[in-house]
Amino acid sequence: MRVGFMAGILGGILLAHAGYATIQYRGMLKIVEEEFSRPPMNVVVELLLGLAFCIWAALAAPAKFRSIHPDSEENRIVSLPTNLDFMIFNHRGKVFPCNAEYKLKK
Amino acid sequence: MVWEGDRGASGGAEDDLPIFNAENLQSNVKSIYYSRTFLSIIGGVIAGIWGFTGFTGFIFYFLVMAAASFGLATQAKFSVCTYFDSWNRIFLDGIFGGLMSFVLFWTFAYDIVHIF
Repeated sequence: MRVGFMAGILGGILLAHAGYATIQYRGMLKIVEEEFSRPPMNVVVELLLGLAFCIWAALAAPAKFRSIHPDSEENRIVSLPTNLDFMIFNHRGKVFPCNAEYKLKK
Repeated sequence: MVWEGDRGASGGAEDDLPIFNAENLQSNVKSIYYSRTFLSIIGGVIAGIWGFTGFTGFIFYFLVMAAASFGLATQAKFSVCTYFDSWNRIFLDGIFGGLMSFVLFWTFAYDIVHIF
């Protein structure tokens, strides 16, 4: 994620520099009284490079995708005691004799 | 943990909804949304500096969004069912919301660089 942020900042700096260079280029064009058609090649390269860095930052900086399958490795329920359905309280049930043959009265 | 799944007591096949972890799905969708919004803004700034006017700018926006979709699909390792519930989440969500941000920053950058 740190690399993602650095890449994003670097992309932003490149874009700001490209914008400044284009402003100066337009000022120069005003002096020689020419029409603006497109920025100079080095500015175009800088814009594309900035775009590449920002795309990299946009994909790398947010959190990694988390699997949505309930049975995948990273989603295993390890927090069972905190699940409301399975909370364990300290109660007196433990003094009951445990007899697995108890059946429900019909 | 929030699970969404089938509501039948015995899990019969006739009302079988796909079971997934909604919390992770929401986090994934938010992550895509942030990426797309950021790229819309950056695309707008680039379109403004480059001097695009008219349709060219929108074509540039859709190109940037296509590149973003491809990057997101790569990040999801091309197996959409592991991370999302449909392909539309990766490819279509957020494109038209990002369009507004794109146009805003496009006009903003164009004004700063070319007009003032």
